[in-house]
Amino acid sequence: MKLFFGLAAQISIVLIVAGGASAQQPQGNASMPQIQGKINCKECHTCQVPTAKEPCLKQCPTLTMTHTKSAHALVEAPDSLLIDEIADTYQAVHFNHKRHAGMAEMNDSCSVCHHYSPPGHIPPCKDCHGNETNPNNLRQPGLKGAYHRQCLSCHREWSHDTKCVVCHLPSAGRPLSATGDDSTDIVGRPHPVITTPAKKVYDTPYKEGPIVTFQHKEHIDLFGFRCVDCHHQENCSYCHDIQRPATTSKTQEQVHAVCNDCHKADACAKCHDTKERPGFSHNQTGWPLNPYHNEIDCWACHPTGKKISRISRMCVNCHAGWNQENFKHAVTGLKLDETHAQMDCTDCHADRKYDADPVCKDCHDDGRTAESAPPGIKMQHRSQ
Amino acid sequence: MGITRRDFFKLSAAGSASLMAGEALASDGAQTALNPNSLGVLVDTVACIGCRKCEWACNDANALPTQDLKAFEDKSVFARHRRPDAGAYTVVNQFSDPRDPSKKYSMKIQCMHCNRPACASACIVGALQKTPEGPVVYDAWKCIGCRYCMVACPFQIPAYEYDNALNPQVRKCTFCATRLSQEGKKPACVAICPNEALTFGKREDLLIAAHSRINASPEKYVDHVYGETEAGGTGWLYLAGADFNNTELPKLTATVIPNLTETIQHGVFKSFVPPLALYGLLGLIMHSLRAEKNGKEESRHE
Repeated sequence: MKLFFGLAAQISIVLIVAGGASAQQPQGNASMPQIQGKINCKECHTCQVPTAKEPCLKQCPTLTMTHTKSAHALVEAPDSLLIDEIADTYQAVHFNHKRHAGMAEMNDSCSVCHHYSPPGHIPPCKDCHGNETNPNNLRQPGLKGAYHRQCLSCHREWSHDTKCVVCHLPSAGRPLSATGDDSTDIVGRPHPVITTPAKKVYDTPYKEGPIVTFQHKEHIDLFGFRCVDCHHQENCSYCHDIQRPATTSKTQEQVHAVCNDCHKADACAKCHDTKERPGFSHNQTGWPLNPYHNEIDCWACHPTGKKISRISRMCVNCHAGWNQENFKHAVTGLKLDETHAQMDCTDCHADRKYDADPVCKDCHDDGRTAESAPPGIKMQHRSQ
Repeated sequence: MGITRRDFFKLSAAGSASLMAGEALASDGAQTALNPNSLGVLVDTVACIGCRKCEWACNDANALPTQDLKAFEDKSVFARHRRPDAGAYTVVNQFSDPRDPSKKYSMKIQCMHCNRPACASACIVGALQKTPEGPVVYDAWKCIGCRYCMVACPFQIPAYEYDNALNPQVRKCTFCATRLSQEGKKPACVAICPNEALTFGKREDLLIAAHSRINASPEKYVDHVYGETEAGGTGWLYLAGADFNNTELPKLTATVIPNLTETIQHGVFKSFVPPLALYGLLGLIMHSLRAEKNGKEESRHE
């Protein structure tokens, strides 16, 4: 804290010297407010000459500072808050702060609600908003308006409901947050489980290929996209609106924007077709996955964070530790008999081409193949 | 016709000069400056959630026939645009944003408590008056039921108790004038608004607050404070997220509506100059006609 005040004072001195010129702050300090453009000292300080000891910071500045996003981690946020200013009229509102803070991560973080915060700490609503509207600052709503605006700006957008009981419970009810939501890590932050569609089929006005099949689940499961990677800067009601119209009036550019993040260089036919397309199958690549490989994540074999491309089919590409001594042939679905188990790998797999058919004719001249006379017992895989 | 062309121009110039003097006097009298402490309400339709609690509070405060507060949660009334009437001084209507019809804005309507109310100007008995505090108040005792106020109001607000045969009154939002002056409270609708979409205060301060909200969130608001200049300024001011043309508020210029009529009507009787000028003109004509007649008779005698 001491360090912080020192830094804050330093900034203010710089600002005084610069006389309101553009404030260039050193990067990389999380507790310092990041302010864009020109700023008047009085936006944050109440006295003429702020010092390290007496920075005289305003409790309620009226300048949006983006430091809340970088300087405060979600873990610092209080779990839940009890709003009981009018407990004599309504039952106290049990506000699940942490979950809302988590959802705010999809947007502008803390500053979605805590719009004006002095450097260093995020004041609760009632520190700035008085019980009554301040006649000297009619722009700022009182506490009642501040609470209701914050809650209803989102809640009414998706439920189209403004009934008091959405938050205020009749005296016999139980607090809303006691419903015990499953805070599963979906968007990288706590959020109740989201059911994602497997695919979305769009009928577009593009004549040569009107049908676009978007494999939604594949983008999550195969390519490891998180919700926020595509659904960024979307407000809560984008998902939660119960009356959301099926069609939205987006421009061609807006419609393609989200796909273009990755598919910019692709031709139209990459997505547009005359019929619905099946989802991805590894068989299409000429390398049908065996039951073991079928169960593992794409990124276990393909390099993480890169566009998936063809990789070497050599087992040792991934299984670097495999050698003649420790390799158990049974994992391939064939447990070698004693005779064959004694042999070298290269006796059957010429030139270490394990994906090609094994060579039998070097020892057997009866024209047998590994299929017609297996050199051991075929195994039943656990998933089959 | 004995009057010469030269005489006619002389007379008409004198007459119109006296009329113009009267007009100048009349407009001086009409342009009373608004009390700087005049009160108003800022209606922020972006913050309004359409909960209709203001409707209930208004009915309750003005002893109008009303239902239980819970009945006002019914949103089906938004299917049509309602108007304030003798039994409801304020109503909330919903309108769509023309850019995105799925977005709905709610707007409360009531008497605008104009700075220069046309209703008060039209009232021939002074039953409607703009008070220095801001409210435009009605005195049922003075009212003769001519309903000129209903015709004059550019917002078509005053309603009439047509179903009351014995003692019908003109009914409109009172700005809770009694609550304000005697009980020191806010208007009932402002007090109940959960989202503080209604802000009560001095009109001057509200205008500052309104512009400051627009500047702070230009993406949310259209840069227009309805009522700042409309009809010469109104006590109730509106902020909106979409163009006001789409709402029920009429498109008005800054013209002070009473000025259109008062300049003529008040001018005619102001300081008695026009009547005197008119009689003077007639007198001059009579005088010149008589002089001509006398002259002719004299010449006949000769």
